[in-house]
Amino acid sequence: MSEKQEKRSIFDAMNEYLEEFEKWATEIMAPAFSEGPNWNTETCCLHALSSVFVTPREVIVTADLPSIKPETLKVEAIDENTIEITAKMKKKVRFTDLGIYHRQGEFSSLSCQDRIHVAFNVEKMKISWKGGILEVRFPRKKRYQLKVE
Amino acid sequence: MSEQVEIIEKKLIPSEATMLIGLPDVGLVGLIATSYLITELKLEEIAYMDSDLLPPVVVLHKGLPHAPLRIYGNQNLIAVISELAVPVPAIYSVMREIVDWGEAKKVKRIVAMGGIPVESRQTIAEPQVFGAASNQELLDTLDKKGLKILNEGYIVGPQALSMRYSLSKKVPAMAILSQSFYNYPDPEAAAMVLKEFSRIFEIKVDVSKLREKGEEIRLKARDIMKRTQQEMKRMKKDQEYDLPLYV
Repeated sequence: MSEKQEKRSIFDAMNEYLEEFEKWATEIMAPAFSEGPNWNTETCCLHALSSVFVTPREVIVTADLPSIKPETLKVEAIDENTIEITAKMKKKVRFTDLGIYHRQGEFSSLSCQDRIHVAFNVEKMKISWKGGILEVRFPRKKRYQLKVE
Repeated sequence: MSEQVEIIEKKLIPSEATMLIGLPDVGLVGLIATSYLITELKLEEIAYMDSDLLPPVVVLHKGLPHAPLRIYGNQNLIAVISELAVPVPAIYSVMREIVDWGEAKKVKRIVAMGGIPVESRQTIAEPQVFGAASNQELLDTLDKKGLKILNEGYIVGPQALSMRYSLSKKVPAMAILSQSFYNYPDPEAAAMVLKEFSRIFEIKVDVSKLREKGEEIRLKARDIMKRTQQEMKRMKKDQEYDLPLYV
């Protein structure tokens, strides 16, 4: 490979890296600056509050799911970095129930999607449900041990 | 009094009252507890806060606009609540104005209600409540009344500023804090805080309805909790988890 071609490849690689980084940064910042409601009348869904904790051994996702039917709880991996939690509510909630008459719609489920930025094993997840709080634990995939000399 | 922040009075303000502060914070404990108290005791709106430091928001209740940060009261009690998460750049001026105004109205004491975030909250059936006070006399009173004292640690946010400014103004102040969720509305923790407040100050409040409405409150409070999460991140609220070094 000529020197010119080599230089071009390095710049191409840098550009590619910067584009990936920008995409990742946008995804990270998007929830912080998201505009729009925390509900969706098309899917009849209220967005649930959730949190992700990453520890050295596992990823712990919790979600606040009040007034749901526990037997309808679903935890699914949408892709290798995103999980979705959904559950049907015990009772439908309409805008009018909340004193809101300038919008139309009703909600029958709670859901949330969480992006997880480390590799995790979705097949080995452990689910617990207590007091309306769902906790899902996923073991992390890669673990490196450094030799201490 | 700050020029940027002003409390506009709508009715006569009683003196020698106890001033309660319940602003959005961890678990929305203070806000849920104070709002419930306002409803149960049928407190009237007596004042509101006006400031360009706050977001351009009004809250509509029964078609009429209200300032998001409002003050309710009766002869013995003044209660401050906010239906919006106070932005961090505004929190200093807002809390200073509240304490200054309380001092001008000769309040007997300032009580901030709130939560102490604990990671294992979902495993705790009955959250414990702790107290902190701005002087030894008040601390001894809380101790005698059977409230556990928050011995060492950090308090971050509106309650911290309420204590700090009250200390400099020599207005007796205390914080009543329940173990709570950090990121999720916690009506159970709010009920515990109210129960202790009611017991210590002998103000009858039935918290059973608060417990019954718990799930409904958690559902309705999602949006304000989400906005409060953003402000808590900005104010580095997680410093409350830090182990203190006391020198």
